[in-house]
Amino acid sequence: MNKINKVWVFSDTTERYADLLSGARQLGEHVNAVIWDERDINEVRQADAIYLLGGKNDNQRIENYAKTLATLADEGQEQTLILLAATRRGKGLAAKLSVLLQAALINDVVLLDHHDNHLYAEHRMYGGLAFGQERINTRIAVITLAGGVYEPIAEANTSMPPLTLVDYIPTADEVLCRERRTKTANSVDLGKARRVIGVGRGLMAKDDLQMIWNLASALDAEVGCSRPIAEGEHWMERERYVGVSGVMLKSDIYLALGISGQIQHMVGGNGARTIIAVNKDKNAPIFQYADYGLVGDIYKVVPGLTELLKR
Amino acid sequence: MRFLTCYKLVPEEQDIVITAEKTLTTSQAGDKISPFDLNAIEAAVQLAKDGDEVLAISVGGKALNNAKLRKDVLSRGPDALYLVTDEHLSSSLPYETARALAAASQKIGFDLLLCGEGSGDLYAQQTGLLVGAILNIPAINAVSHIEIKEGHVSVERTLEDEIEVLDVPLPAVICVSSDINEPRIPSMKAILGAGKKSVTQWSTADIGWESEAAHADLISVYAPEQTERKRIIIEGDGQDEIARLRDYLANALS
Repeated sequence: MNKINKVWVFSDTTERYADLLSGARQLGEHVNAVIWDERDINEVRQADAIYLLGGKNDNQRIENYAKTLATLADEGQEQTLILLAATRRGKGLAAKLSVLLQAALINDVVLLDHHDNHLYAEHRMYGGLAFGQERINTRIAVITLAGGVYEPIAEANTSMPPLTLVDYIPTADEVLCRERRTKTANSVDLGKARRVIGVGRGLMAKDDLQMIWNLASALDAEVGCSRPIAEGEHWMERERYVGVSGVMLKSDIYLALGISGQIQHMVGGNGARTIIAVNKDKNAPIFQYADYGLVGDIYKVVPGLTELLKR
Repeated sequence: MRFLTCYKLVPEEQDIVITAEKTLTTSQAGDKISPFDLNAIEAAVQLAKDGDEVLAISVGGKALNNAKLRKDVLSRGPDALYLVTDEHLSSSLPYETARALAAASQKIGFDLLLCGEGSGDLYAQQTGLLVGAILNIPAINAVSHIEIKEGHVSVERTLEDEIEVLDVPLPAVICVSSDINEPRIPSMKAILGAGKKSVTQWSTADIGWESEAAHADLISVYAPEQTERKRIIIEGDGQDEIARLRDYLANALS
């Protein structure tokens, strides 16, 4: 695999520098880290050079630095990758950079590969049902990278790379922040739950959800559902819908109750370590995707299992 | 004030079939308005007051000729519809689409252009932002609340770690988050009225758009491998079977 001449790394969140720099090192010959907060300097010592952006204040926003960064990255005629964290700010900045630099932009990239002098990037499509691979044709590429793609490198440079101060270039479309507010605590986040129970059409009435919640409480689990329960019946909130354009589980277990197991649902369950399914229909596709399955009635199994777990 | 709201037609993802070779078949999936764009349409319709105008716009291939889907858009509240059709735009990636939307929206003229957070198919999350950058006007993503003020809009932007409040001068592009509102279900009256609203159809020549060398090419689309599973099946729902299931569950948790 030949390497990209130059990779620029920037993150609006300190935690992401480690994995971004690790990716940059694997892909590029020369790695430049850009920081906005001088406290991040120790996080980017693996870079060959560090650039500190000037003009930071409470109302300034990183998206306003597109012109500044584009000017910085557009030197020479080398193949260049601008690697950003796939945050909302990162995506906002990336779009402006891509127009200023006439560079291809791909967001939420989960796989990057450089061969035959082209960069290839993969990202989810159709709400997670599929991955699309794009080949980048422009000299400069802008990529916002999803978390967890590259393992952070442990060892840091012993010496401090050279530091350059970069002046902020104001632009006509600059929008400053008037106020910042802390976010109120999120409602349920099934994507982070360790144990998840999913319910599907096998549940006959909304009131029967109580039986599911009793099991969830005995198992210390969260409750999710298939699409008909959230969007057809409106028995549960959309945030609890597991599958395409919904939650992608990363749980230790997924206990699927009365779910037939369409692929559109199963892509959401695919990340669970163990899948356990209960369904009346022996031929339900869910059993193809399950580690353990029980062919039977959830109205018998759920109360029975709840009792056993409470003992 | 004139609101322009963009939408894309995407295949119904519930009807996409995955083949044994892990490729996707969309031939059985009908088109629908990308769900994220319904949020943009709803936001525009909610913001519009007497005397304001809400225009919907889409650029794409011949799928846009579908009369039922045109009525669907118009039944959700926009006053008129603008379409730019060209086969080059039927499968274009975001930058090409954004250039066409920028050219068409400039021709129409607007104060506020609204987009969804991404499309239901590519979910590239950039087309609206690119339109703003191409037109050299402010473009803000992740917007979860909008208020119209004199000469500007005040918006809240829900980020991963905080909420930003911004005053955005007009004209501007706003990409709304999917939780900004609950898109309406059109009433029968709105559905019947939709057929009477004006539809303007343009070619790419009408907006001065020509296809250019693509920044990127989508070279393959494939379904991810499903994780290998043990597939141990218990038949029956008696006490013994439930106890066995409990044991497997306990094992999986330890």
